[in-house]
Amino acid sequence: MRTTNSSAYGGTWMRPLAVTALGAVFAVPLYVVLANTFKPGADIASSPAALPAPPTLDNLQAVMDRPDHLFWASLTNSLLVTTLSVVVLTVLSAMLGHYLARTNSRWGRAATLLLLSGLMIPPQVILLPITHVLRIFHLMATVQGLVLFNVGYYVPFGVFVFAGFVRTIPVELEEAAAIDGAGRLTVFWRIVFPLLRPATASAVIFFGVWIWNDFIDPLIILGPGSGTTVTTGIYRAIGQYQADYGTVFGLMFLATLPVLILYLVLQKQFVQGLTSGATKG
Amino acid sequence: MAIDVRTVRSQPVSRVRPAAGRSRSRRIRAALARFGVFGAPGLLVYGCFVLAPVGLSFWYSLTNYNPFNPQTRFVGLDNYRMLFGDDEFLTSLRVTSVLTVILVIVPNLAGLGVAMLLNRKGWFYNTWRGVFFVPMVLSSVVVSIVWTRLLADDGVVNQALGWIGVSPVGWLSDPSLALYSVAGIMAWQMLGFCVVVYLAGLQSVPAELYEAASIDGAAPFARFRHVTWPLLAPALTINTVVLLISAFKAYDHIQVITNGGPGSGTTATVAFLTLQTGFIANHQGYASAMAVVMLLIVATASAVVLRLLQRREVDL
Amino acid sequence: MPRTRTTAALLALAMAAPLSACSVGSDSSSSSGSSKGTQEITFLTFETPNLTPQYWDAAIKRVTAKYPYIKVKRLVSPTADRTAYAKQLRASGQLPDVMIAVAPTGFAEAGDLYAWQPSELKDFLFPGAGAINGKIYQLPTNSQSIPNVYYRKSIFTAAGITAPPKTYAELLADCAKLKAKGTTPFVVGGGKDAFPTVLPLTGTVGTDVYRKTPDWMDRRRDGKVKFAEPDFVGALKKVGDLASKGYIDSKMVSLDYAATEQAFLKGKGAMYPMGSWFAASGDKSPIKNDIGVFPWPTDDGSELMPVYTGGGIDVNAHAKNLDAARKFALAFQLDQTNLDASVKSDALFPAIKGYKQPSDMGPVFTETYDLWKQAVKDQAIVKAFAWETGDDALLPGVDAKVFAATQDVILGRKSPEAAAVYLDDEWKKAS
Repeated sequence: MRTTNSSAYGGTWMRPLAVTALGAVFAVPLYVVLANTFKPGADIASSPAALPAPPTLDNLQAVMDRPDHLFWASLTNSLLVTTLSVVVLTVLSAMLGHYLARTNSRWGRAATLLLLSGLMIPPQVILLPITHVLRIFHLMATVQGLVLFNVGYYVPFGVFVFAGFVRTIPVELEEAAAIDGAGRLTVFWRIVFPLLRPATASAVIFFGVWIWNDFIDPLIILGPGSGTTVTTGIYRAIGQYQADYGTVFGLMFLATLPVLILYLVLQKQFVQGLTSGATKG
Repeated sequence: MAIDVRTVRSQPVSRVRPAAGRSRSRRIRAALARFGVFGAPGLLVYGCFVLAPVGLSFWYSLTNYNPFNPQTRFVGLDNYRMLFGDDEFLTSLRVTSVLTVILVIVPNLAGLGVAMLLNRKGWFYNTWRGVFFVPMVLSSVVVSIVWTRLLADDGVVNQALGWIGVSPVGWLSDPSLALYSVAGIMAWQMLGFCVVVYLAGLQSVPAELYEAASIDGAAPFARFRHVTWPLLAPALTINTVVLLISAFKAYDHIQVITNGGPGSGTTATVAFLTLQTGFIANHQGYASAMAVVMLLIVATASAVVLRLLQRREVDL
Repeated sequence: MPRTRTTAALLALAMAAPLSACSVGSDSSSSSGSSKGTQEITFLTFETPNLTPQYWDAAIKRVTAKYPYIKVKRLVSPTADRTAYAKQLRASGQLPDVMIAVAPTGFAEAGDLYAWQPSELKDFLFPGAGAINGKIYQLPTNSQSIPNVYYRKSIFTAAGITAPPKTYAELLADCAKLKAKGTTPFVVGGGKDAFPTVLPLTGTVGTDVYRKTPDWMDRRRDGKVKFAEPDFVGALKKVGDLASKGYIDSKMVSLDYAATEQAFLKGKGAMYPMGSWFAASGDKSPIKNDIGVFPWPTDDGSELMPVYTGGGIDVNAHAKNLDAARKFALAFQLDQTNLDASVKSDALFPAIKGYKQPSDMGPVFTETYDLWKQAVKDQAIVKAFAWETGDDALLPGVDAKVFAATQDVILGRKSPEAAAVYLDDEWKKAS
């Protein structure tokens, strides 16, 4: 990472000051969530911006102790859907991305184009008919159905990431292994897949964040029978807790925690993944 | 998924020139096997759960399909004809356009500015970078709920305005403001993405180029104009296309914050109207026509923007 | 060739992998799931500050204690608009077996709902309420008066108002007095819930349209009248005037239902037009003794109360365990403790023969209930516009348009005339 000469843009204290001022304004909503999560519910409406003094864990307690286990059930569903979707997506899109990057036939190029055009399909275009397709397979209102929808919907992005990365790996590496007599799948999982680790990391983070935070797809596909995910759970809870914002903030905080931790742990790969395309175009 | 990879003994693609039809057929078989293992599963799921529904949408859009009314029949282009005389739909097109223009411009410009400010080493800048990125990983539902509270009549924003003597503004209740408020909320959430992408672009600018420009005596603006800006072209392309597509998809924020209101059609985007028409009014044929029009617009707009911006990259 | 066979087997396996890999999830909808003897039914509910998860679970348990072989899976609508959600569920093929307070319009005509037999309706006070083509699809379990005008006695006194208004002119005069004191006269919200906006209009349509033409909605359905006719436009105009005079604060229209209620309870306005169910929240609040209630006033001051009867359970005609669903629905609705709970939690007026409400009800409920009883006794009742659910209901989907149009009028975006024309257009689109 290179940086430009720091004296090039005016005084040395102007920049930190500007960054702090802008950042502080930008962070107000984040501060409000944090502060109100640890504030007694009654104080939220009257002084939403005040510091939580003294802080309380009552809100988090109330969320976790709900008699219908809304939080825990939602958390389980979200973890299940996100984990399954991300694993299947990563496996399928790594193989497909590799296959397409290494195929020069006209069909391969056509398939790539078809997949890439999927990157811009708004989910609303397919949500109506997807319910009929899923019903044919008896997968409507099931976790499997939602997972399969996620896989289909996000596989273009995965292919885009993996295919781009595969092209930077010399094909000789694979051929050498293949001549050694190893089967294709063996070669792929033993030799190629480990080389794709940076692409895997960024794909996993993106899939994870998107699927964890998804709202309208689980709302419609999962339906009420299979329970809520954390996002649809929050949406449902605001109806009941309008007068008790402490619980809503507690729920939002707890629902965001897992994905926030994932992001903080993998921050570097996240940014790298985002930017690998930015410099190449 | 426990597949014993050692059972797969398919031959590597033969590098030897085939002498006879037998080895040619083997080659085809090997290619098919390779497709079957690596290509087919992904394509199959994509085909079933994305392509087939897109096709179905096209088909429904030519019918009067309504699950409450079992007599589905083919109506040709009637839905499309009705669509372009439907004020509600035309309004939603206008709403989507306004939202798209704001979302393509604001986070792009602001993101560039913030990225230029943050383009320094050290824990101080790293920490602030982290802050700007956080909204990216937040759910749009969470963001919408928080901002709805902030922008309420007695919310933080109006309280702050009160301190400087400004009377409360109906950010979400004033029909002439609501759309801009929603756009602002979405811009806030998208800003981090633009910052990351621009930062990466900025960091790819070789320091030598700046030094050379400094020696030539170029002023800061000239340096930006002639050194930084051209090299940010790929970042601009990515940001613009991503923002464009996100703006067209805009749904979650609308449903949670305004539910399309206040009043009729002030914040109802095409994406929002499509689902309302399809799932709540149950005019699925008509909703499908909306979906098809939306798809065509997104496809055209993305293709045009990509073409324009990439030409600029090539021109460098 | 063995190799080919392995490859083919692998190919099949790879295709099936995404399916098998995730079959550890919840049970699929196709599985019958019922062990011998027990019959499972799904029950769509909704949650509000009054109707908490505990409320529903306890109510369901009281019924399943009587019928141990019925297993109830409670579903929850993500918003209070459970009718819209039921439509969405139907559109995606998941219509629940039993649904509470879902308007049957549309579902009934499409043959989705079980038509209750007269023998099953013998315990209901108004067994014919909400009929569609002469049949009852939603149990007419309770009555509601919509709207009542709730007001803060202390705010009225402070503005020098000694008694609640009897005529519409008195109402306007009182509004002027309140406004002169710097108080917003009316709290009218809506926001993403939209329906709270319609209550003033339900009031004015009652006094200015339905009073003269009680079967106005039937005539609208037959195409004999239109929204864009003087009576209905006049009702819209009254609402628009309240807003343009500043008696309704247009900023409050962004408040959703719960926030609207809070705004009134916190004294952000003097009056709150709302259905009788508000009495439950009113009685729970610390200011319950400061809340008074009067009916939406007529021009000449004569007594009139818009009333809706229905609001009970619908049963899916295609429910797998239809018998269990019917038994559960009736038992749920007629259980004395459940009825008491609905009175206490949601201030419903059970329309069940011989039912006596609990004696320890709060002042807001008692006053609201007495107004309704008196109006029923004096036969001074009309239907509640936009709340009907039978043959006389707005066409499916038009209710949302009515809410939006009322918001437009309050916000000054549409003139009452333009809003009426818009409603006629939407009506045509929906029919």
